Amino acid sequence: MATTTATVSISSSDLQPGSSLNLHASSTLMQAGLTAGLELVDMGKGKLTETTDRDALHEALGTIDSANWVYLCNNATDDTHYIKVGIHETVIGNLGAGDWMWMPWNMGDADAELNIEAEGYTDCTIPYEYAIFKTAYTLAASTAA
Amino acid sequence: MALIPTLTIKDATTFSDEINFSVTDSLTVTAPSSSLSTIVATATGGDSIIVPASTAIMYLFVRHTGTTDGSSSTTRQVDVEFTTGEAISRLSTGEWLFMPVHHAEADVGVQLHVQHSDPSDVVQLEYAYWKKG
Repeated sequence: MATTTATVSISSSDLQPGSSLNLHASSTLMQAGLTAGLELVDMGKGKLTETTDRDALHEALGTIDSANWVYLCNNATDDTHYIKVGIHETVIGNLGAGDWMWMPWNMGDADAELNIEAEGYTDCTIPYEYAIFKTAYTLAASTAA
Repeated sequence: MALIPTLTIKDATTFSDEINFSVTDSLTVTAPSSSLSTIVATATGGDSIIVPASTAIMYLFVRHTGTTDGSSSTTRQVDVEFTTGEAISRLSTGEWLFMPVHHAEADVGVQLHVQHSDPSDVVQLEYAYWKKG
């Protein structure tokens, strides 16, 4: 059986007086319900330019209430280079240089595409990498005659 | 103050090639923050505000414990949403998220909203947040 696990640890030695922070959580990625086993993974990297508007990192299916997860990392080294992350019209996060995020994403609503946009000084280029783990995905029909 | 988050994704069975990657970061954070806490969320999002209104970027961790009270199990899903009602993500049993939350510099907070209308359907979650320094 396919089993994908996502684990996070968050630590700090100077955040809390008298004690260190050492948070740890792990979960197995499930399909809708409690069935383990994902089928598809999109992984890649690219570059965003400040001059362009937001781009869709992935379109939503808009047909089924499926379970999906998103990993996105801003690989910039200049701390003035941000990536705005949105779901359709709503900006939900702002990734600084080196920052990453992990969250479940429901693509059951057609107006739920995941989009990203570079923020920084004029004409800057921001490298990023991503992975989207999906329960299922229907391939688009060929337009060939 | 520094915060070190690390994400590890592993899968050795789905594909003929193993997925195994890890990414870490070193974050500068400042007050306000909330160390790991628990909350029992209900179907009324406004009853479960976990991050107060702010224009700042907040590193947010939220985990669905799969229980109503730490022991009784539940499969109700929970929306993580802005206090304006716009959804960020939906957590099922055992799932968690970590991300720098920011709503286009709007002065809003983050709340939890159980996806069921029955007031008796509650979910216990863990959360923590830190303001980006």
